[in-house]
Amino acid sequence: MSGPAYILGSGIVTCLGSGREATLAALAANRCGLSALEVFRPLQEEVLPVGQVAVPAGAADLPRTHRLALEAAAQAMAAAPGPPDAVIVGTTTGGMLESETLLRQGETDCHSYRFHGLTTVAELLGRRFGCCGPVLTVSTACSSGTVAIALALEMLRQGLAGRILAGGVDSLCRLTYFGFHSLQLVDRHRCRPLDRDRQGMNVAEGAAMLLLAAEPEQDDAPAILGAALSCDAHHPAAPHPEGRGALAAMRAALADAALAPEEIGYINLHGTGTRENDLAEARAVRRLFSRLPPLSSIKGATGHGLAAAGAVEAVVAALAVEENLLPANTGLAEPDPALALQPLRRPERRPVERVLSNSFGFGGNNGSLVIGRAGRVGAVSGNRPWPLPWLSIHGWSCLSGAGMQAQCLDRLLRGERVAGQCSASRFADRLDPRLIRRLKRLPVMALALALAMHEDSALETAFSSVFLGTGWGALSETHDFLERLAETAERFPSPTDFVGSVHNGPAGQVAIMLGARGANITFSGGDGSFEQALLGASLWLGDEERGCVMAVDEAHGVLSSLFDPSVAASAGLADGGGGFVLGRQPGQGRARVRLLFHGRADDGLLPAGLVRSCGGPEVLGRTCGLILAGLPLACREQAEKQLHALLRSGGLRVPVVRYRELTGEFASASALAAVLAARLVHDGEVPAGLCSPGCSLSGRRVLVLGLGMTVTAMEFAAP
Amino acid sequence: MDTDTLIEELKVKLIDILNLSGVKPEDMDAEARLVGGDLGIDSIDVLEMVVMVEKDYGVIINSQEMGEKVFASLASLAAHIRENAPASKE
Repeated sequence: MSGPAYILGSGIVTCLGSGREATLAALAANRCGLSALEVFRPLQEEVLPVGQVAVPAGAADLPRTHRLALEAAAQAMAAAPGPPDAVIVGTTTGGMLESETLLRQGETDCHSYRFHGLTTVAELLGRRFGCCGPVLTVSTACSSGTVAIALALEMLRQGLAGRILAGGVDSLCRLTYFGFHSLQLVDRHRCRPLDRDRQGMNVAEGAAMLLLAAEPEQDDAPAILGAALSCDAHHPAAPHPEGRGALAAMRAALADAALAPEEIGYINLHGTGTRENDLAEARAVRRLFSRLPPLSSIKGATGHGLAAAGAVEAVVAALAVEENLLPANTGLAEPDPALALQPLRRPERRPVERVLSNSFGFGGNNGSLVIGRAGRVGAVSGNRPWPLPWLSIHGWSCLSGAGMQAQCLDRLLRGERVAGQCSASRFADRLDPRLIRRLKRLPVMALALALAMHEDSALETAFSSVFLGTGWGALSETHDFLERLAETAERFPSPTDFVGSVHNGPAGQVAIMLGARGANITFSGGDGSFEQALLGASLWLGDEERGCVMAVDEAHGVLSSLFDPSVAASAGLADGGGGFVLGRQPGQGRARVRLLFHGRADDGLLPAGLVRSCGGPEVLGRTCGLILAGLPLACREQAEKQLHALLRSGGLRVPVVRYRELTGEFASASALAAVLAARLVHDGEVPAGLCSPGCSLSGRRVLVLGLGMTVTAMEFAAP
Repeated sequence: MDTDTLIEELKVKLIDILNLSGVKPEDMDAEARLVGGDLGIDSIDVLEMVVMVEKDYGVIINSQEMGEKVFASLASLAAHIRENAPASKE
């Protein structure tokens, strides 16, 4: 589907200042906002330049990332006609800065880490601005902000929302500051993107949020005209040397906006200042544009805001269009002749209609946006209520403490507990040892699941898109990085663990293993991460394409019970995951799945929209043969009330299995339940062991419910 | 420590920090191309080796150009460490 997403409001907070006016003034003056690190005190003498924000005091119990997000969101929502229908936030740090300090202090109270999770940023915005719809968290490293905006555009086009608050945010923290330094990617002087003598990037913090809408408020409002995502499937941290994925993303974004290269008036480059990124991006740009438009990277002024960068630059692109200002390539002294680009040395005042903005990240993630004036093109598709369309399931895989595939699924079918931690030797044995040599638990679990579902699908070509959910990301790598950092007094951080710690690392590994060069999106939506990944696939999967939707979480001896309150409340550690190879082709595959509902329940009650989107109590009672209910231990009481409210609402007499009693407590448990549901509708019967006395489904469906603060419903049916 | 002993020591360390499972010290040729060769060692591994060399031998390897030359082979790495190591107390 095509059509623009109009920008009704925007907020921006970087080291250049807070708000559009301050940002515009700094860009017009070609001012550099980088300065020596002050946010935390490094243990060694060397202090690197960073982009840091004067975060206002107040809300002191909230982490820095959350405060940055709130400030940008408040600006974007200042003139909003009402609450957003959805919130989509890209972030990689969440409460990391504060958690680093707590971990060093040896804090063991789970409550102290309640804002650690990436999902808590979006949830805070959802609560603050009264959003009752989907509240999503994407974490695709340095393309996160762009991916959030791209998903919002698609959600508006498909009529799932009228207004969406979308953007990106990251605060400075030790993990990223020392992580990029350990990769020797940081310029010890202020960074100089595209310069002959550039020596790397400067890590920055910031936030930018956009209120996007399907309908404009003014005829000349700037809009997101097009977006595209791709994956290099080449290396976990380095770009493809020819910029293969970058070129694909830029080309597809132009096609999505129905524009030719010569219709672009300015390119906002990713331009981090690392030798490899700038060279690969320059090669891709030169291949796409036979005549180069004016271009620059603003990261010499703002630094690299990581997950915030794409959203910051989308706001800057909109400013360029509205204020006729092309920002300079701040910090540039001598353009690198090897790049063969002529970046803007000074800001230029001239009209620009359409801007191409790039964001690339670890995991080979690429995203490009086209921003410009759209004019009034009318409603794109009209509001289409939930549920989302059916997707066909071609293959599945699952992993739990009991093992992989049949070892796990057969036991679940008998209603036996599979909770626990599976030994890596049992799921990694089919993977190429060279491929997993540097990987710890989570990425190996993801690779094992991806390979198993591909083989299970019996499709000749592997899926091209990856939608991966993970509540907590790679805990082993994160823990080991922080531990070694502290043990060596911050002298010897591990580059391998840093690269492995990014939440989208596992999805990037899957792409490399199977050559998946389509969209590659990692969602970190807490207990609803699998459902968010399914929502992502429902929005983004091409008509002829196949995609992998999975969720996976690892149990970690130290961190799991600190971060996840349901794990803290449970008796033992459990982990695992599951997923599907999905396509849009109706009538194909072994089963079907669709997302019926995705909403928030801040009041703790069952959202009224849930039963409505199931078709009402009568339809639900007739079509539903079994409910697999997810009641996370930390909010079990509230979830039980919601479940009873649902069963009472239509006098439903549907058997219920509380699946976490079988899977154990971990964020991705719903992925295991989803695979079980697919198998049940495929077999057409519910075994007595799972739910006494057992029954034939006779065409009825299986509902997988996620309960608690976020309420979700997935429906499974025979093909 | 003489060069041969250092090379043997480095082999053991690399197998450990780069998790070269299935590789034995005797499989490693001191003159063979280290980065991008048969062992599958890439830029992230080089950085991990940079850390090890600084930590264990007190030799700082900073610029990337220098890094590439130093990590051409195990022999060149050992030579660089011997040339630049701070005076030993032995």
